[in-house]
Amino acid sequence: MSMSLVMRGALRCNAANLVKSARITPLNAYSTIVANSQRQALVKPLALAKNVTPVSLMSAPCRMASSSSSHTALWTLERFVSAGLLAVIPAAFLAPSQVLDALMAISVVIHTHWGVEAMVVDYLRPQVVGNVVSKGAHAALIVLSVATLGGLFYFIKNDVGLANGIKRFWAIKGKDSSQQN
Amino acid sequence: MLVNEARQVLSRASSLVGRHQLRSITNGTAQLDQQAQPKEAKEPQIKKFEIYRWNPDNAGEKPYMQTYEVNLRECGPMVLDALIKIKNEMDPTLTFRRSCREGICGSCAMNIGGTNTLACISKIDTNASKSLKVYPLPHMYVVRDLVPDMNNFYEQYRNIQPWLQRKDEAGEQKGKAQYLQSVEDRSKLDGLYECILCACCSTSCPSYWWNPEKYLGPAVLMQAYRWIIDSRDENSAERLGKLRDPFSVYRCHTIMNCTRTCPKGLNPGRAIAEIKKLLSGLASKPAPKMETAALHK
Repeated sequence: MSMSLVMRGALRCNAANLVKSARITPLNAYSTIVANSQRQALVKPLALAKNVTPVSLMSAPCRMASSSSSHTALWTLERFVSAGLLAVIPAAFLAPSQVLDALMAISVVIHTHWGVEAMVVDYLRPQVVGNVVSKGAHAALIVLSVATLGGLFYFIKNDVGLANGIKRFWAIKGKDSSQQN
Repeated sequence: MLVNEARQVLSRASSLVGRHQLRSITNGTAQLDQQAQPKEAKEPQIKKFEIYRWNPDNAGEKPYMQTYEVNLRECGPMVLDALIKIKNEMDPTLTFRRSCREGICGSCAMNIGGTNTLACISKIDTNASKSLKVYPLPHMYVVRDLVPDMNNFYEQYRNIQPWLQRKDEAGEQKGKAQYLQSVEDRSKLDGLYECILCACCSTSCPSYWWNPEKYLGPAVLMQAYRWIIDSRDENSAERLGKLRDPFSVYRCHTIMNCTRTCPKGLNPGRAIAEIKKLLSGLASKPAPKMETAALHK
């Protein structure tokens, strides 16, 4: 049973590798491709056969990149937002205005969103919790972030504003101090 | 014939003489040592080693910790010495990888006292009241006892194509002449080329624990950077192009366990940051200071 699983995994792997190498280097000599697949066939099942228990998890990586999409622009934007927070937050508190409040709300929420998203990707992997929970958590995160941003916008538009609202926490006086004054 | 035999006899005799001399010298020093410290009785200094054991041949058996008691007075200073002593004298079934015993091959990478390091260059804590726990590299499939399955790691290393790549393969006949590199350009490889691929850093990285199939891990990424930044390599753009997806590089959250644990004192975290800078265009690879193919013309 386990052996058949192993063999199936190895075959799948080799097929994928053949396709991959054929796609990446169309000019590759046939011999190279065959040699590659033979090497895979020699190396992989041997190593797999030793690990009997977690066979189903043991399929060797046939595919290194998870997707072809580029993450570069998003990463760069994340860095600029992180750096921008250092300017936006003090500015919003020094000169409270609706525009700066909105800017602070957007940048803080999106910054937090990306941080929590990284946690969801790392800790709620489909392999561990299943596809439904993983996708559901992603969706829930997006709903939460949008709702937070909407709530903050509502507060900025219809109330004292974000910076002023936070400042009011410092204006709260305890019972003792009000009695003394 | 006869001459040969005579020669052999003579050489044997001389080596015997030499051996006797050696023995007398070593005996002499041993006696001296005993005379020098007669009061300090060599009472055994017993240290407990708790070692992870798992044997795939015993079907259904769970991994367990086995305790060995080693007399540190009769053992070398390093953890690897103790492991070899246990294997030689107590339990020949204990399985681990080792080769150079001087921190240059990377075979004996394991988790010692909670830290990924090389057994051959980590000193045994002589505090005998505490036991020393030895596990295989974390979050790797175990082949047996302290031997992890490194196939995925090596496959990832193969995936970054760790060799010099040139555009003009036809014009530059391989081995005919050297490629030129200025001292300044060469110095960029310092702190990168020393990596021995022991996988201590990759297996200390939570991101690598969670996504070992898709995230390349610090060791491999540092080698990727080593080839990207090499002034003689002309395929930097293609190399970077293969790293743009959300997982290969970008699963690195600068946790920096890699740099903290590296037994060679290297900084994979910095190398990954440099890759990210190159990818985003915030930095770019400088042009070579010397014309690399000058000797091929």
